[in-house]
Amino acid sequence: MNKPPHHYHLCPLCGFEFERTETHCADGCPMGKFCNLIRCPNCQYEFPAEPRLLGWVRRLFCREPSKATQREMVGLHELEVGEQGELVCLSCEQHARRNALAVYGLVPGIRLVLQQKRPTFVLRVGETELALESDIAREIFVKRIPHEHAAATAGGVTPA
Amino acid sequence: MKGSQDTATLNGERAAATAQQAGIVLVGNPNVGKSVLFSKLTGKFVIISNYPGTTVEIARGETRLNGEAVAVIDTPGVNELASRTGDAQVTCDVLRDRPAATIVQVADAKNLRRALLLTLQLAELGRPQMLVLNMMDELDRCGGRIDIRKLSELLGIPVVPTVATAGTGIHLLQKNVAAARKASDFVAHAVVPSGDPGADYDRNVERLKRVNEIMGQCYTLDRPRHPTFAQKLGWWATDPLRGTLLLALALYFMFWFVGLVGAGTFVNFFEEVVFHRHISPWAIRAVDAVLPFPHQHAMEPSEYKLEIPFTPTRGIELMTSTRETLAPKYSLSAGATLSWWQQALRFIHDFLVGEYGAITMAFSYGFAIVLPIVATFFLVFSLLEDSGYLPRLAVMVNRLFRGMGLNGKAVLPMVLGLGCDTMATMTTRILETRKERVITTLLLALAVPCSAQLGVLMAMMARISYPAAAFWVLLMVGVAFAVGWLAARVHPGARSDFIMELPPMRLPQFGNIAIKTLARLEWYLTEVIPLFVLGTAILFFLDRLDLLAKMARVCEPLVKGWLGLPPETANAFLIGFLRRDYGAVYLLNAATGANPTLSAHQVLVAMVTITLFMPCIATMFMISRELGKRTALWITLFIFPFAFFVGGVVHRLQHVLGF
Ligand SMILES: Nc1nc2c(ncn2[C@@H]2O[C@H](COP(=O)(O)OP(=O)(O)O)[C@@H](O)[C@H]2O)c(=O)[nH]1
Ligand SMILES: [Mg+2]
Ligand SMILES: [Zn+2]
Ligand SMILES: [Zn+2]
Repeated sequence: MNKPPHHYHLCPLCGFEFERTETHCADGCPMGKFCNLIRCPNCQYEFPAEPRLLGWVRRLFCREPSKATQREMVGLHELEVGEQGELVCLSCEQHARRNALAVYGLVPGIRLVLQQKRPTFVLRVGETELALESDIAREIFVKRIPHEHAAATAGGVTPA
Repeated sequence: MKGSQDTATLNGERAAATAQQAGIVLVGNPNVGKSVLFSKLTGKFVIISNYPGTTVEIARGETRLNGEAVAVIDTPGVNELASRTGDAQVTCDVLRDRPAATIVQVADAKNLRRALLLTLQLAELGRPQMLVLNMMDELDRCGGRIDIRKLSELLGIPVVPTVATAGTGIHLLQKNVAAARKASDFVAHAVVPSGDPGADYDRNVERLKRVNEIMGQCYTLDRPRHPTFAQKLGWWATDPLRGTLLLALALYFMFWFVGLVGAGTFVNFFEEVVFHRHISPWAIRAVDAVLPFPHQHAMEPSEYKLEIPFTPTRGIELMTSTRETLAPKYSLSAGATLSWWQQALRFIHDFLVGEYGAITMAFSYGFAIVLPIVATFFLVFSLLEDSGYLPRLAVMVNRLFRGMGLNGKAVLPMVLGLGCDTMATMTTRILETRKERVITTLLLALAVPCSAQLGVLMAMMARISYPAAAFWVLLMVGVAFAVGWLAARVHPGARSDFIMELPPMRLPQFGNIAIKTLARLEWYLTEVIPLFVLGTAILFFLDRLDLLAKMARVCEPLVKGWLGLPPETANAFLIGFLRRDYGAVYLLNAATGANPTLSAHQVLVAMVTITLFMPCIATMFMISRELGKRTALWITLFIFPFAFFVGGVVHRLQHVLGF
């Protein structure tokens, strides 16, 4: 189901955990692609990555910080089909793309249901069904909503 | 309290006065029923479809308010006013050009949140406005409730519930236009104004907070436990497995209805019975009576078979009949010599009902072959369009299209291109970037044959083997992908993100389908029939001036040397410049006529070459209108040599392919 948790970073500022692959240093950094700061998609705070060796050591001797399913926030692509989530943040670099999602009501705090992943992501926000490419889905971070809560709040029907 | 009511009525009266002067503008999210509402208000028809982004040109009409005519304007759907792209730009311009007009915002009641976001943005303009909650029937069905009075109170503007398709609430709407006024401060000042375009997102987030406050006070949702059949169908349509099955089913249905019933049964009937047995002989007799010169028309047998087809070769035969009819071919009476006057009569006679006659050729082709095929195609297309299936098709093909630098949205013009490429070229406006528009237009012009041409090509396919037919299909698909892939790499720019709203699947409405099919047909015929007449006239004069044979000689190296076709087929390509399907008819005659001159291999080469031709002159004009003269020129300069090139390659491969 979910990939084993590796390369996860913990933001020192807000405690948000995220995958390395989806984060880059902000545009316009004078160091360009040599910059090895990573940016938290939640609070936009930039911090240096944990050295790889240290990561290995930590993983060897410490327990995994948390399982993927328990982590606070996941990318939309990590939700199961039929699962509900509450949108936490959009990490899109381009303003236009972020706003393109916002006009469908996709702003922090909104509840959504992931309806399918293949061949293209489809999610439902309110009564709008929205199809998105996986690239965009990866930039949407949500908090899982456990099923018992889900039924009470947004309720309703999702494809089996 | 009393005071505020007074000002409200005062505002109302002032608004009424302005509404009558400057008219009303319908604004709203895409696919909320603006166009339906527009036609209900004005009695005018505009293209209505269950596909976001179909109102590409603004429509104007008039409605009666309190006995006075008031202008109404339909605009393309917008999700917000801030973004300055395509449709939103058009809508903003319309609003800016009519500062005194009343804004009537149309909303999909099911999607109140998105509608209110727009309401807030409109309110910031500080103009008289009102809100129409359309699709109340669907809101009911999905278990939503809106406290309309409360909403109206919060927004400070009239709110009217309607069901546009059923015509419910239209009167109430007309009555309330007079009461339209500026929205309350609570709504109009939800965000602090700022000129920074980068802040669009943050401002929308602020607005949505206010929207949530409003919705908390007047919206409740109690969704039914079980999904409806339409909902399930919608989910199946985008599922990898079931969606593919559904697509195959849809394709077969389309092929059956357009390819077999339209191009087979209907064309047979119109061609044989209506034209050959009735209209042509009647026209010949009439012309002979008016323009007499001593000649005798030949009689030809006309065979007619009525059948219900299942596959190209199988079907239920209902009846056959054979009869002798009067043919355009004639011989001069023995020993007669024609005076100059009779010569002139003969000239006109030939122009009307001769072998290249306007009536016997152009009209019979245009009305008996093209009309039935195109009509059935547009009917199916309208059905697909109204059902809400097309956006789901876009979801299915998005991956595939990505390789060609396009996104799934380009499937709509592509499918429409199977009906008419000119119309489809116009529809590429729904695509967001220029790169996407250019590539889609190129592929339309190159490799998407319109239904009329497909009908003719299918008739030609009867002459070639199954493997050869399969080769033709695969080659066209392959060429489309290869050219698309290359173009995506050559053309600078980016494709747009694929973010697409999927409208609910709906049962298509009969009236809407009928009107839409007729409107498209009318558009098509006015574009096409003059071209047929022009093409026939050119052929007629070339034939008279004995230029046809000369042209054939000039083109011989290309046609005979490179393509390996008989020199006479040059005529087909010549006329193919005008319209490729008309050129194909020529090839069809050469392939399956009374004494066929083409071998099976030559038929394949001819099919490949003519399929890749530019669709028609009208398409070329449309491309230059949409993308500019330079691009149109480039596309044309690419297409014709490329078509001959591929045709020649197929000819060279004869021995390798074996057909
Ligand atoms: N059930 C229902 N469908 C509607 C209603 N109004 C419009 N529609 C359908 O919604 C679709 C979009 O309508 P259209 O007028 O083209 O929307 P526009 O994009 O806002 O112009 C069409 O398929 C209509 O038949 C309504 O009140 N109820
Ligand atoms: Mg419309
Ligand atoms: Zn940096
Ligand atoms: Zn005659």
